[in-house]
Amino acid sequence: MFNSLLKDTNHRQVLFFCITIILFSFIITLLSDLFSVNFISTSFIKTLGKTLCLCVIALAMDVVWGYCGILSLGHFAFFGLGGYMIGMWLMYKRTEIIVLTASISESLPLTPQEISDAIGNQIFGVVGGSEIPLIWANADNLYFQLAMVVFIPGFLAFVFGWLAFRSRVTGVYLSILTQAMTLALSLYLFQNDSGLRGNNGLSGLQNIPGYDDTSQSVISIYFFWASALFLILVFIFFFYLVNSKFGSIITAIRDDETRIRFLGYHVESYKLFVFVLTAVISALAGALYYPQAGIINPAEIAPIASIYLAVWVAIGGRGNLYGAIIGAASVSLISSWFTSGQAPSISLIFYKIEWVNWWTVILGLGFVVVTLISRDGIFGFLKRIFIRKV
Amino acid sequence: MNNLLEVKNISVSFDGFKAVNNLSFRIGYNEIKAVIGPNGAGKTTFMDIITGQTKPDNGDVLWTDKQYSLLLLKESEIAQLGVGRKFQKPTIFENKTVLQNLIISQKKIRNPFSVIFQSFNHLDQKKINKILKEINLFEIKSKISGELSHGQKQWLEIGMLLTQEPKLLLVDEPAAGMTTDERQQTVKILKKLSLEKSIIVVEHDMEFIKDLDCNVTVLHDGSILSEGTINEVSNDENVIEVYLGR
Repeated sequence: MFNSLLKDTNHRQVLFFCITIILFSFIITLLSDLFSVNFISTSFIKTLGKTLCLCVIALAMDVVWGYCGILSLGHFAFFGLGGYMIGMWLMYKRTEIIVLTASISESLPLTPQEISDAIGNQIFGVVGGSEIPLIWANADNLYFQLAMVVFIPGFLAFVFGWLAFRSRVTGVYLSILTQAMTLALSLYLFQNDSGLRGNNGLSGLQNIPGYDDTSQSVISIYFFWASALFLILVFIFFFYLVNSKFGSIITAIRDDETRIRFLGYHVESYKLFVFVLTAVISALAGALYYPQAGIINPAEIAPIASIYLAVWVAIGGRGNLYGAIIGAASVSLISSWFTSGQAPSISLIFYKIEWVNWWTVILGLGFVVVTLISRDGIFGFLKRIFIRKV
Repeated sequence: MNNLLEVKNISVSFDGFKAVNNLSFRIGYNEIKAVIGPNGAGKTTFMDIITGQTKPDNGDVLWTDKQYSLLLLKESEIAQLGVGRKFQKPTIFENKTVLQNLIISQKKIRNPFSVIFQSFNHLDQKKINKILKEINLFEIKSKISGELSHGQKQWLEIGMLLTQEPKLLLVDEPAAGMTTDERQQTVKILKKLSLEKSIIVVEHDMEFIKDLDCNVTVLHDGSILSEGTINEVSNDENVIEVYLGR
């Protein structure tokens, strides 16, 4: 497949990465509730699993921005859409099971219409309806919804990208446009008649239909492993992609779009290709993330999320796959530590520092400091120190 | 002689300023032609029109005897058809190696889906090695091209044109900023290339044109002032007036 511009050391790097992630996953599993060590709580396993999914979307962001030069501020929209698509199945199927279980005690078996009404009532009661919207028509079919995880965000990215790239919108204008798309999508989902429960979003996603007897500590480990394996797969795929001729071409597009056009490359199709590919991978990451988060609502899709994504990648080091992972993992873990109230607040004489409020200030300062000290982020910084030593 | 490219009565104006005015030009197979002219004569616009970056207000650009009009094509399609362009400043990809620069410019199917599955096989390697030797960069093919000297960068860019296997080369000031030695070498490279390709050279440097020893077209204010051999042109009174001031 990909051409052989790589040296042996490169292949060894990939192997090293995979082994690290797998070892890490084993250690976490051994320390979890599963083996009654109870060193790591189920909720922290979920946090780690979610972090791995965030690393995947950071990789996607790094490829589209760091390598191809498209500063997309909309990739979290694809991530969220992926979550919604799988969430529909999780919620529908589970509600269906609940309704059917409850109906056993009834004297008369329920008609299909009654079942559908009951499900509709359960799911859409909060937004004042009981009708099941058309977009939920196949929500009971896992394979259909899985296909939608890929198709809906992919299609949105394709249409949006095709229109934007074809008119040669680049740079900051494109960023603004992607942000507008994200905002529009989020506002649309906030509406009660969007068919996706408005600002309530979809909830109870941590309960996997048919696995009611399985405890969350087991399910969380499943998802943790699935996320780890997905991260490995995506890393390998992207690693060979960016180090191939294709990778050379997209970095060339980033560096000098006009020049590569005169070499005979149709820049727009490359951008579209990368945009759609990374959107689909973001969506798949989202579909793994939200069953661990348990709830998805339109606020998750708000533009700020996509901006954070860009910040992670910039802090970690863009234009480098390790950088994206370092950035996403460190910043999102620190962020969840600060915002979950675990960080002790500091009482000064005249003021009490509550980290929940001050975290964004720290993040902002951190961003400024990192980009001032090292333009290529934490990874670039580490690399320079390391290379100097050797 | 058969035409490879024929430019017919093209005019283009920017905000009322006529950059190119009713210009006609032709070049045959395996021919070198030089285009000279003072600043603002329309040389760059002329190149832009051929490569599809600028569309003329009227006139036509015809490709080969089959007379395809290039005006209907996109930049990338014109490039794929066989028009290669070397820019005035060396525009290579500075943070790629010499070899990588040549690989991405090599003639191959250009759409993203096939590029992903393309391998860099033995034949491709052989072709590129041959070109690396022609442009004197074989020994340093793994060097990051940003670290090359100015002259080497110019050659690398010519090399990138060659791997595209174009039929027509547009070369914008190839000798700018070169040492005498490097200039001699460039003349050699271009002359060798003209055995199997057509080349349009845009240049300021009269010495360089003399060394190239080819037909010269002098542009002034967007139209042709004079045409002929270098001696004919440099004895033309109009040319002397434009070049030495009125």
